[in-house]
Parts: sequence; C-alpha cells; structure tokens
Amino acid sequence: MATATDQLVGFGLVAFSLVLFVYYTLWIIVLPFMDSDHGIHQFFLPREYAVIIPVAAGLLLLLFIGVFIMFVTWKSRKHTKKSD
Amino acid sequence: MTKLAQWLCGLALLGSAWAALALAPPGLQPPGPLRQALLPLPVYLLVAFGCYSLATVGYRLATFNDCEEAAAELQEHIRAARADLRRRGLRLGAE
Repeated sequence: MATATDQLVGFGLVAFSLVLFVYYTLWIIVLPFMDSDHGIHQFFLPREYAVIIPVAAGLLLLLFIGVFIMFVTWKSRKHTKKSD
Repeated sequence: MTKLAQWLCGLALLGSAWAALALAPPGLQPPGPLRQALLPLPVYLLVAFGCYSLATVGYRLATFNDCEEAAAELQEHIRAARADLRRRGLRLGAE
C-alpha cells in the first residue's frame, strides 16, 4: 500500500485532471451547441481564452523545463571543473 | 514501417482532415456551431492528452505497492556490505 500522503496526492491529481477535462470539454465542444441565452454560458470565459490559456501554460511549462535543464547542466559543469 | 512513421502518418492524416475543414472557403464550411467546436480541436486534444497523463501518473502514485519491510531489509544489507568492505580496506565515497 502506498503511504497516506502518496494516496492523497495521487487521487488529488486524478480528481483535478478529471475536473479540468470535463470543464474544458464542456467549454470547447458542448458550449457552441447551446443557445447564447442559456444560463450555462455565465460559467465560462469568452472562447478565445480556451485557446490562449493552454498555449500560454504550455509555453510557461517549456520555459521552466528549459531553465531547469540549464540549471542542472551549469551545476554539473561547475562540479567537474572543481574536481579538475 | 516503424512505429514513429506510423504515428506521423496518422497525425498527418488527421491534421490534413482538420485543416481541410478549418480552412475551407466560406461556401464549403461546415455549419456554425460545428465549425466553432472544430477549430480549437488540436489544442483540445493536446489538453485532453495532458489530463490523461496527469491522471495516470496520479493513479499509479496512489496505487503503488510500497514494501516497507523489504526496503528496511535492503538498507540493512547495504549497511552490512559497507562495513564489510571498509574492514577489507576499500574506501567508499558516500556515507
């Protein structure tokens, strides 16, 4: 059995990704077919954000990964230089 | 054909189908709501795949089978082996 924190974090991730998936599916696929005066539209941002937010988040993720790789490479090069 | 080539062919097929529908001239465009749902489809599939990956990682983290006794036993073995090697004169880096 995984530890309690592992289980909490794991199932938390599952729940989060499920909520995100349902919300995003509704936003992209279901909303165009609902009448513009239906109450559900108040829970969703304008449609442009459905593309802008994931693209921005993806770019941010790539930025963090790149910075992390640079940091680790720099650290390891400093170590080998020192041992010389 | 390699797996990579297969995946690329599949992606190219789906991509060209999407592009054909998305970039169609105003006469041949699919009807209103359908087109509105179709245009962000690549981003949607990417986000859906990301959600699936996150859920898989979380689920496997939560259902992983820790064997704490085996881990403790292994640490004991490591400690014993270290002591033994040190007695025989081998210098070990990490402690």
